[in-house]
Amino acid sequence: MESSTLYHAKQQFYLGAYKALADLPLPDAGSDDYVPILVYQARAHIALEDNDAISSLVPPDTENLALKAVTALARYVSASDADAALEELRDLCVEIEGEDVEATEREKGWVRVIAGTAFVRAGEIEEAMETLGAESSLQNLEVVAVLVQAYLSIHRPDLARKEFDRAKAWAEDEILLQLIEASIGLVTGKDSYADAQAFFTEQLGNPSLTSPHLLTSRGVTRLLRGDVIEARSDFEEAISQRGHEDAETLAATVVAAGLVPKRADVEEVWSRFASTYSQNPLVRDVRARSEQFDELAAKYTVPPLAIPASA
Amino acid sequence: MSVMLTKFESKSNRVKGLAFHPTQPLLAASLHSGSVQLWNYRMGVLVDRFEEHEGPVRAVAIHPSRPLLASGGDDYKVKVWDLRPQSRKCLFTLHGHLDYVRTVQFHYEMPWILSCSDDQTIRIWNSTSRQCIAILTGHSHYVMSAQFHPKDDLVVSASMDQTVRVWDISGLRKSTPNTAPGTFDTFDNFSTVKYVLEGHDRGVNFAQFHPTLPLIVSAADDRQVKIWRMSETKAWEVDACRGHFNNVLSAVFHPKHELIVSCGEDKTIRVWDLAKRTAVQTFRREHDRFWVLAAHPELNLFAAGHDSGLIVFKLERERPAFALHGDTVYYVRDKYVRSYDINSGSDIGLLSVRKFGSPYVPPRTLSFNPAERSVLLTISSDNGMYELATLPKDVVGEVKDSSADGKRGAGQSAIFVARNRFAVLNKTSQLIEVYDLTGSVVKSIKPPVQTNEIFYGGTASLILSSTSAVILYDIQQQKTLAELNSPPVKYVVWSADSSQVALLSKHTITIANKNLSQHTLIHETIRIKSGAWDDAGVFVYSTLNHVKYCLPQGDHGVICTLDNPVYLTRVKGKTIHCLDRSARPRTITIDPTEYRFKLALIRNNYDEVLYLIRTSNLLGQSIIAYLQQKGFPEIALHFVEDKNTRFDLAIECGNLDVAMEMARAIDRPECWTRLAQQALRQGNHKIVEKAYQQTKNFDKLSFLYLTTGSESKLKKMQKIADARGDPMSRFHNALYAGDIEGRINVLREVGMYPLAYLTAKTNGLEDIATEILEGAGLTESDIDDVPDFGRSTLRGPPVVTDTTNLSWPSIPGGESFFDRALANGNLEATTEYVNGDTTAAASAALDEWAKDEEEQDLVPDEDGWDLDAGGEARAEEEAEEVVEEEELGAGAAPGISESEAWVRNSPFAGDHVAAGSFETAMQLLNRQLGIVNFTQLKPLFESVYRSSRVYLSPVASLPPLELHLRRNISESSLSRVLPVQVVTLRQTRQELGDGFRLVSGNKLTEARGVFRSVLQSLLFIAVTSNDEAKEWRDAVTLAREYLLGVSIELERRRIAEAEPDNPKRILELAAYFTQCKLQPAHLQIALRSAGQVFGKHSNFAGAAKFARRLLELNPDPRVAAQARQRIAAGDRNPHDAIEVDYDEFTPFEVCAASFVPIYRGQPAIRCPYTHAAFKPEFKGMLDPLTELTEIGAVASGLPAPR
Repeated sequence: MESSTLYHAKQQFYLGAYKALADLPLPDAGSDDYVPILVYQARAHIALEDNDAISSLVPPDTENLALKAVTALARYVSASDADAALEELRDLCVEIEGEDVEATEREKGWVRVIAGTAFVRAGEIEEAMETLGAESSLQNLEVVAVLVQAYLSIHRPDLARKEFDRAKAWAEDEILLQLIEASIGLVTGKDSYADAQAFFTEQLGNPSLTSPHLLTSRGVTRLLRGDVIEARSDFEEAISQRGHEDAETLAATVVAAGLVPKRADVEEVWSRFASTYSQNPLVRDVRARSEQFDELAAKYTVPPLAIPASA
Repeated sequence: MSVMLTKFESKSNRVKGLAFHPTQPLLAASLHSGSVQLWNYRMGVLVDRFEEHEGPVRAVAIHPSRPLLASGGDDYKVKVWDLRPQSRKCLFTLHGHLDYVRTVQFHYEMPWILSCSDDQTIRIWNSTSRQCIAILTGHSHYVMSAQFHPKDDLVVSASMDQTVRVWDISGLRKSTPNTAPGTFDTFDNFSTVKYVLEGHDRGVNFAQFHPTLPLIVSAADDRQVKIWRMSETKAWEVDACRGHFNNVLSAVFHPKHELIVSCGEDKTIRVWDLAKRTAVQTFRREHDRFWVLAAHPELNLFAAGHDSGLIVFKLERERPAFALHGDTVYYVRDKYVRSYDINSGSDIGLLSVRKFGSPYVPPRTLSFNPAERSVLLTISSDNGMYELATLPKDVVGEVKDSSADGKRGAGQSAIFVARNRFAVLNKTSQLIEVYDLTGSVVKSIKPPVQTNEIFYGGTASLILSSTSAVILYDIQQQKTLAELNSPPVKYVVWSADSSQVALLSKHTITIANKNLSQHTLIHETIRIKSGAWDDAGVFVYSTLNHVKYCLPQGDHGVICTLDNPVYLTRVKGKTIHCLDRSARPRTITIDPTEYRFKLALIRNNYDEVLYLIRTSNLLGQSIIAYLQQKGFPEIALHFVEDKNTRFDLAIECGNLDVAMEMARAIDRPECWTRLAQQALRQGNHKIVEKAYQQTKNFDKLSFLYLTTGSESKLKKMQKIADARGDPMSRFHNALYAGDIEGRINVLREVGMYPLAYLTAKTNGLEDIATEILEGAGLTESDIDDVPDFGRSTLRGPPVVTDTTNLSWPSIPGGESFFDRALANGNLEATTEYVNGDTTAAASAALDEWAKDEEEQDLVPDEDGWDLDAGGEARAEEEAEEVVEEEELGAGAAPGISESEAWVRNSPFAGDHVAAGSFETAMQLLNRQLGIVNFTQLKPLFESVYRSSRVYLSPVASLPPLELHLRRNISESSLSRVLPVQVVTLRQTRQELGDGFRLVSGNKLTEARGVFRSVLQSLLFIAVTSNDEAKEWRDAVTLAREYLLGVSIELERRRIAEAEPDNPKRILELAAYFTQCKLQPAHLQIALRSAGQVFGKHSNFAGAAKFARRLLELNPDPRVAAQARQRIAAGDRNPHDAIEVDYDEFTPFEVCAASFVPIYRGQPAIRCPYTHAAFKPEFKGMLDPLTELTEIGAVASGLPAPR
């Protein structure tokens, strides 16, 4: 049984309360919780794109494989020397396969999860799956979570579902499992997104944490369900709870703004968003489409305007 | 039936007879000891005793409608008693029986009393004349019981002669009863034995008619209970219930259910199924033989008398299982799950649970899951089991039985803990298992204490009820979050916002916040039945006989009294919704003012307090006492008229002004003293001064002046003291005032010369000193031994601050709000009620929402009717099978993205744009509608594309998931999903409306832009039905007509400016404008403008024509008058100065490029999208109206709706 501090840290991490988790005081370096909490905290920092914090947080001389992996991920995400970081993660993956490696099963799991995350980011889906799914008897929910999302990203919700069903057989009714179920539901739209809606609503009522990410998630779910007005109120609340705008919520807000009957400010919101977060997938995508549009439109020859000759 | 619910038990001598009061909770019991007891079984108190019989009393009865009680004893007497509380006494005694009286009974409408006796007779007495009016003879042994038929003129009797007899007494009703006593022969004329029922092998102890059916039940010493049926002509034995192993002494029908209850000397009470004649349940007592049974005529209550007392019991729980969701109560009545909408009052059966558990036992609890629309029921039969069943969406015809698809299992307590999880408690194994909806266990919990029942505890939590505590338990972490000591909790009620919870035990209520970290406990002496939260956060609960309220901090009080217990479900405003004992929804109207007032006080919501003060007649000592006690004297002040109370309150809250006013009015020394004390405490010395003055407290007054440095007043005090001739006071005042001479004078006057001398001496007043010496007849030398004290430095204190004119500043208290509000009377009653009183505005807003949603809802519904759905589904199944075979893992090939599916599923350009497939979208637009110029559509393409997808990252640091917004969210199969409609018809209609307004406002250039944009937007709509397709086409046509009209008018204005010398063209364009199919309001504008232009150019005939058309449109009077003038002008001068190309008699269209008429029959080509007409020479060119299409291009048109 894990300690309640660790339990909360995990819960915060899974439910996207990254800020709260990052601000958590670290336990004593000697305690059992030290490494796990450090791992989650570091990952929370990475999720917040606060990669500089990692170097001060994680001891640079650490021998712990999980912590090494986290550091590598931070470097990869910050794109300082992405390729080297990726290579290091590959090495770590090989290392944990070794016989005499000094790492607990849990730590090995983290290495896999972190490496898998980086591979997915790099677009190496196949490699990621190999890393994560090499031994699917691993019974590690975090691995499943990454794997499931990888499947979803290549539009294979059927496989994601299978992986989830398999996990259900051994995992107790944990929050992460429910989250996985919710994400699958979001993609497939099963039962009109009821799973996701219920899960996020339930967790919003969870007394032990507040996470603006949950609000955003529920807002997105509501958006998918066509409840645009309710979705917008969720986004607004998420932003006010967070204290500042974040790319994900803002992107969703833009989408919602485009769906309400009154669309006065939608272009303005969009252009503000597009200029602030130029690397957001939505922005990049739309930019690409826009170039494509120009190309395609040019293929059609526009005849001269019909103007009466006499006039 | 696993339990017999004992409601009341008393210890006494052997109980031989029992009778329920029909309306009040009273029970009469006749005792072997000779007394008749009257019990209130609800409160558990002995109300009265009737002790006039000698020897055992076997018979007792209560009149069904009048306050009368009859008893019959071994002293052969039948006594009739007045039951009214003020005059409980024996009214009269009926003599006649010659042996023990066994039973008595009142007739339900006639003034008759029926009695039977060991003298082998049954007698009927008239209670008005107090005479015996009939004697029924025929039994050949003791008659053990005699009972009237509930409707017919029949009597059934049971006798030791082993027979049951049915007597016809209809003759008694018709004839005037014989008044002459002693003539027994005549009695027989009125009554005859109708049937003799033989079948028992031993003496029969009791027989009774069924309340509605032609049945008789009898109980006999042959240990059997027999059931008999009667027809008009005969009666026969139906069956016997065997099981008692000693004499059966009584057997009665259950008034509501098909059950028989019997009891006997084998110390058991047995319940039998009337239809199957099988034993349902046995209740055994160790030592006491049961002598008698009574059934309550209305309620589910029985009483049984035994050797050492009596018990009152129920055969089944009456508390209906129910759960509240929003404004709907889901509950169980007669083993049907029903829903009751408390707003509309609609009450419908949804699901039968008849086959769930024992047929005699109603479900114990119900938990409702709104997301799945399913219920989870528990029942106590079969050692406890649960059933999970879904409710039908709408009930048509027969409601289904839960056994069809319900999932059952063993467990004593079961509740939903999340949308897709429920927890079941197994009490014996002490295991809580969490299931998912398919019925597989996802988690097992060993509760930390012996748990008797589980309740919902908030997200992912349970409330566990043990014998001495409740525990809030986290399911995920498997640990105790909080623990409260409490008697066993039976029910848990959460407030609507889940911030508070009420834990109900038998005699206590614990109100706690959601973490159980703050709580308050209330004790009740009467049993607590149920409770519900008011919307404002007050807990309203019901006990056996009261509805009460409880505030969060623990104050509680009575709202109203109850005749019978009810089970509260919802409190809304002034209405309490509840279920009564037979599980029928009821409402009770209450006055919530008192608790609202108290709640408002606690929350410092003074607006509401004031509102309540103004709008209700909340007065009286109790409220004032409450206010005072709770520390709100300043508010209480406003309620009080009584001077003394007002004064007390004013002192308490430190309102000195009011206190002063009241003190003046009362004018009693105690008041002034108290006022002075309070004022002193607050530093208001002016009031202190006044108070002291009033009470003539000179000493204190002087000292007050000293401390405030009020010298002039001190002087006055001196004068007063002089006047009063009080030397002590004078001295004091002189001392305070620093008046040395005055002091000396006082001392001298009272003969204290030494002091006077020294005072004078030490203050350097040598003359006076000498004078004193002389006066005393002494010289300096006489007082040589007096030491020299030197000069006195004692002075009156200097005034530093001019306190006299100041008063200690006091903080304006909380009362200022009330002072202001009550004094000015200008506080508007704008207070909005949370609690449903004035929510009109809010509900209007909701209605609007609802309307919006209704319209949106239409879309997916129609999709459901897709005709070729079957084929697609099959194809999809096959596809899925293929996928199944693939292995998970690294080799997984990418699947079909939703965008691709959209492209496949839809032939509409808008959907292709949403999918990001711009290329196919353009092809579609080109093919379907002949669009060639796309540049203007770019913003629309982009906004449609980006509003149909949203990104979310559920897992940290992974690239976000791309989620696709669908318009048919009920569909999850990839072969049918369609993207959200970013551009809707509704919205384009709104846009059109904007355009119309611009036209009316004469902003034509802007209007042209709007209509163009409407036509652009319409390109992206996917129509789903023929109606929508028609609507779409109408919108296109309408937009085109306006666009054309506006363009013509703009051209006219351009020419009017550029070539004013071309009146012919101007006139023509004005005329063509009127040919556009505009709405009447806009057509009027066109016609008026044409009329004006024509008139100006002296084309009076033409102008008149336009005026006539204008008149047909019923314009407003002013315009109409103008039109008539034009017509008149045209009639006077029916000529046109300029000939124009305008033939109103031949239908024509206007070429949208050159604005010349194309009369019918002339060649025209069209825009492939809007169908606008053009002269043939424009073929292949860009449509100048929309600037989108190639004129005359071949196009297939919008695809068929789907």
